[in-house]
Amino acid sequence: MNELRRDPITGRWIIVFLDKIPAVSDFKVEPHAKKKEGCPFCWGSESFTPPEIIAHRKYGAPNTPNWTVRVVPNKFPALRIEGELNKEGIGIFDMMNGIGAHEVIVDSPDHFRDMADLKCPEIEEVVWAYLARSMDLRGDKRFKYILIFKNYGKSAGASLEHPHSQLIALPVVPKRVIEELHGAERYYDYRQRCVFCDMIRQDKEEKSRIIYEDERFIAFCPYVSRFSYEVWVLPKNHRSDFANMPRDHVPGFARAMKNALARIKTLLSDPSYNFIIHTSPINGHEREDYHWHVEIMPKLSKVAGFEWGSGFYINPVPPDVAAKNLLSVKVEEK
Amino acid sequence: MPELRRDPIIGRWVIISTERAKRPDQFGIGKVEEERRPGSEKCPFCEGNESMTPPEIYALRKPGTRPNGPGWDVRVIPAMFPLLKVEESLDRHGAGMYDIMNARGAHERIIETPQHLRETELSKEQITKCMNVVLDRMRDLERDPAIKYVLFFKNYGEAAGAGPLWHSRSQIIGTPVNLKRVKEELAGAKSYYEYKDRCIFCDIIKQELKDGKRIVAQSEYFLAIAPFASRFPFETWIIPKEHACDFYKMERGRVPDFSGLLRLIFAKMMKVIGDFPYNLVLHTAPFRRESGKKGYWETIERDYHWHFEVLPVLTRVAGFEWGSGFYINPLPPEDAAKSVREAQGATS
Repeated sequence: MNELRRDPITGRWIIVFLDKIPAVSDFKVEPHAKKKEGCPFCWGSESFTPPEIIAHRKYGAPNTPNWTVRVVPNKFPALRIEGELNKEGIGIFDMMNGIGAHEVIVDSPDHFRDMADLKCPEIEEVVWAYLARSMDLRGDKRFKYILIFKNYGKSAGASLEHPHSQLIALPVVPKRVIEELHGAERYYDYRQRCVFCDMIRQDKEEKSRIIYEDERFIAFCPYVSRFSYEVWVLPKNHRSDFANMPRDHVPGFARAMKNALARIKTLLSDPSYNFIIHTSPINGHEREDYHWHVEIMPKLSKVAGFEWGSGFYINPVPPDVAAKNLLSVKVEEK
Repeated sequence: MPELRRDPIIGRWVIISTERAKRPDQFGIGKVEEERRPGSEKCPFCEGNESMTPPEIYALRKPGTRPNGPGWDVRVIPAMFPLLKVEESLDRHGAGMYDIMNARGAHERIIETPQHLRETELSKEQITKCMNVVLDRMRDLERDPAIKYVLFFKNYGEAAGAGPLWHSRSQIIGTPVNLKRVKEELAGAKSYYEYKDRCIFCDIIKQELKDGKRIVAQSEYFLAIAPFASRFPFETWIIPKEHACDFYKMERGRVPDFSGLLRLIFAKMMKVIGDFPYNLVLHTAPFRRESGKKGYWETIERDYHWHFEVLPVLTRVAGFEWGSGFYINPLPPEDAAKSVREAQGATS
């Protein structure tokens, strides 16, 4: 029998298959092209990107090789940094200029290793770049929200194969974020507790969905997973703002991300995926009702008409089965 | 300069990023593969192969023919792997902080032709028959009190989530809960109505008819537009010019006019972008079994307006879109509408 489950944050429903669960080998994964030639993100190709915003390098001048992580403006930005918003109405329609920042974080100089293959200290450098760029951009009064995400693989929307993440600073708070904030606020008003803290508590009691846990971070397959093998990574102690992460938490976060991504890669034969950092809007103070987290979504099935029309997701792999399978593979810890 | 546009109904923002614009034929992923036209002997949806499917729920049959045999024009069967089942009981319960219920509902497949044809090969008369069957099925499902909403949709092409079979078909899902996207749209329409005392969709129709630049095509009773805040290149909405909130109550006399427009816009779009994968989704009001119910449904007859959305799958939806509900569309809807409007489509 299939089951309908309701997400306690946004109220969206998902359908979980309980009778006909696909095996790991039932998911077809497209191979990733691996061609280094002409890649603008490799050492020596620095002049093919716009000049860098920041980079980590032991020695050498900006826009030369020998960096370990590098942030550049997106060459084909969805939004532009210069200009005013000029909000206006056209009849019943509203519009404004597409002002914002669109940056690319090149995770490492290695063309062939995705974040799942990097060593923890290398991931720490990527996180350092996320935090540094977030802190810098929140000084710009035009921006309301900073979205950090990663598309890996063609079917996840990545147009360049060299592993990279992206950052977009937006002049409005996006709709899904507003929905999530409202849901969390409603839950808090009623219970005076953070809905994410409650999820962590329930998952720790039931244990069956946890795939990683240490002193500060936890990773689990959420009870209301929209996608097969969806994984969330959260700080165990309540914190609403990703950019305010204490610097001594960075190694723990890198370890949790490495563990989750490596398990997905090993079990599912290197699938395409998206991850998105969900954090509170730019406003400078910690919120009691919201909890930052990362949502990792392997691209294993296509979203079809039913999902578009309904906001109702079909997940053929129950999250406790996903967690059990993810735990069954051996991964490098560091 | 890219533009941020806001959907006036649900408040979703779209970035129209012309700097990333491509010519219509340059959208990468969506080509429906031609080579796989398997023979009809093995197709469970072809006339003569009725025994390969579960027994039919309903069919438009020639006089004197028997259920589950040949002699039909349109046939409705239960989905082979139903997401929701009519036989289940709902059994709502909680598990700690979470809510659960059994997957009670309906999941049906509409086989749109007895011949081994694709969507693009159906005549206006055949589409009219299909639409009439959809109306019949929705009227029937309204009698099941456990079903709150009926979703009618079509996935065309593998990139849009369709299976590998060739035969033209669509799906109906009756759900035991009201759906989140539907609720958002209803809430948006209701709040506009409360403020202005007018239907927001009627206002959009008026403005589009006046502006003209986002009109794709129109018929006597229906209008096809590229919406102002289109999420996808060549996104198209088909909407009745006259206010109506329930699709399934459409006058039967208008079905041929609707089917003709549907056929025309797909023929025109194919002239511009080739054989493309898409999702076609009906948006209509939920069932209201207590008439004149106060509160949420009180003004729905006046504030909501049914329509179809055609969502071509030409770009990939990436992490950014999922995380933000904020879409990046590289093609301004005005340009999309112009090229489709000016394409010479097949006539019926």
